[in-house]
Amino acid sequence: MPLRTWRRITWAYHLIFAAAVTWPFQTLVNTPDPLVLGLPRQMAWAAGWVVGSLVVLWRLDAARTRHERSGPLPPGGDG
Amino acid sequence: MDKVTLITVIVFAYLAVTLGVGLAAGRRASRSVQGYVAGDRDFGLLVMYFITGATVFSAFAFLGGPGWAYSRGAAAFYILTYGVLGMAPWYVMGPRVAALGRRFGFVTQAQLLVGRFPSPGLSALMALLTLAAFVPYVTIQMRGAGIVIEAVTGGRVPLAAGAAIAYAVVLVYVLASGVSAVGWTNTFQGVFMLVIAWALGIYLPTRLYGGVGPMFEQILAERPELLSLPGLTGSGEPWGWGAYSTAILASAIGVTMWPHLFMKAYTARSDTIIRRTVILFPTFQLFLIPVFLIGFAGVLFPESPDQADFILPFLILRSDLPALVVGLFCAGALSASMSTGDALLHGAASVVVEDGVQPFRKLSDRGQRLLMRILVVAVGGLAYLFALVEGFSLVDLLLASYGIICQYMPAMLAALYWRRATTAGVISGLLAGSAVSVFFFLSPELKPLGMHEGILGLIVHIPVLLAVSLRGTPQDDDHVDGYLRV
Repeated sequence: MPLRTWRRITWAYHLIFAAAVTWPFQTLVNTPDPLVLGLPRQMAWAAGWVVGSLVVLWRLDAARTRHERSGPLPPGGDG
Repeated sequence: MDKVTLITVIVFAYLAVTLGVGLAAGRRASRSVQGYVAGDRDFGLLVMYFITGATVFSAFAFLGGPGWAYSRGAAAFYILTYGVLGMAPWYVMGPRVAALGRRFGFVTQAQLLVGRFPSPGLSALMALLTLAAFVPYVTIQMRGAGIVIEAVTGGRVPLAAGAAIAYAVVLVYVLASGVSAVGWTNTFQGVFMLVIAWALGIYLPTRLYGGVGPMFEQILAERPELLSLPGLTGSGEPWGWGAYSTAILASAIGVTMWPHLFMKAYTARSDTIIRRTVILFPTFQLFLIPVFLIGFAGVLFPESPDQADFILPFLILRSDLPALVVGLFCAGALSASMSTGDALLHGAASVVVEDGVQPFRKLSDRGQRLLMRILVVAVGGLAYLFALVEGFSLVDLLLASYGIICQYMPAMLAALYWRRATTAGVISGLLAGSAVSVFFFLSPELKPLGMHEGILGLIVHIPVLLAVSLRGTPQDDDHVDGYLRV
């Protein structure tokens, strides 16, 4: 996927992340059971979004590195 | 060797290694302000990763994190999410800040802001706000170090002496080596914190309950209110969703705006290193999972400590652990305290000299470094005096300062991205936002939906910044291009 798409995915992911861990969307995931890997479900939910952020940012960086090798960056800043 | 002696030996060995690492680090850096404050802009990925992680996670996270999980239950989960949300935009902003630092020679946050919006008053205001925010923060770190040392040595080393010994080590390496010492000691301390937190976070639930899952099943059966969001307040009442959600947002907005963290963008060797640090930050954030597990392990423990924040040393001392484990825990907690305290002392001194003194009276490079060293000692001494005063409500002051720190974000975004922003707009916005934030901090009963005062401040700050800027004369295009075209 091109760099521009990864930038959009990254922004969208973190906006959804912010919504998913605050009111009102967090209320949809607010029962501790069933436990996930031994953790209450809300805690695993938060940890899952944190891990997802790592994956999305890593993919964005990979796309960026590929793009830098192939030519100048497209307009839209340095992200 | 008896248990207390062995623990004391481990703690002193840890302090000696830290001092050695700190002093050795300074031999690499040049003897200039850039060397002392920005490490000659030459930090690699390993050091940047740990300097960011270990600076964010302080004694407050190591002692306060378990304390929150223990007393307020699920409310603590907000701490798990905000760091990553706050750090992600730094992937874009960090390299831009670093590029401007290289272009104009900036080493502090206010220099960037005042460079775009020229005003000695703005520089002095930021120096003052930074100092006001840092002193209570350093004090908390010192008290944390003192409390841990007093607890694990069974009172043989009292709080005052424990804090003094730990921070004497910090003073020596910060004075000698500046930010290079902060970077390399944080790397050593960061590894320590991660290993100790994960080891204890798995070990304590297993020893007390037979595993992490069984522990939560028991808590769910006996204290289900602790595992339902948004958790409880400090006094045990249910916390509100407005307060929980805005605590996440305010903290996420504020996290990269803390001057001691922001300034580290100037220390990186390349933009790639800043980006990789942001990508790897979630791995540090997950360190809160074992920290919370330690706190939850105390929930059904038959005895309870005087204050929730002491749950970690309390459990350690009552779980009949080997002296080696207790000694390593103590070193881990000291790492958390010292790795934040050193960055704060160094940051406070650098900001006061560069932003509070330099714009008004030019000092030579040598004069600046000398004054920074004097201020490191002065700020450390002041914080130490506060640390000895019982009952001083420092956590309250720290929370108030978070409300003010997140007001830096609109000003910084305007400096980096908004052509039409003006000096008057930025100063008006900062003053209005900070005033609203302080007002609601002092009158919490007036907060709508219990929202965080920092967010309420931003609700006023942003329209003021926009309105005053748009009514004023635009800045000169060439001047603005220097900041926007990076």
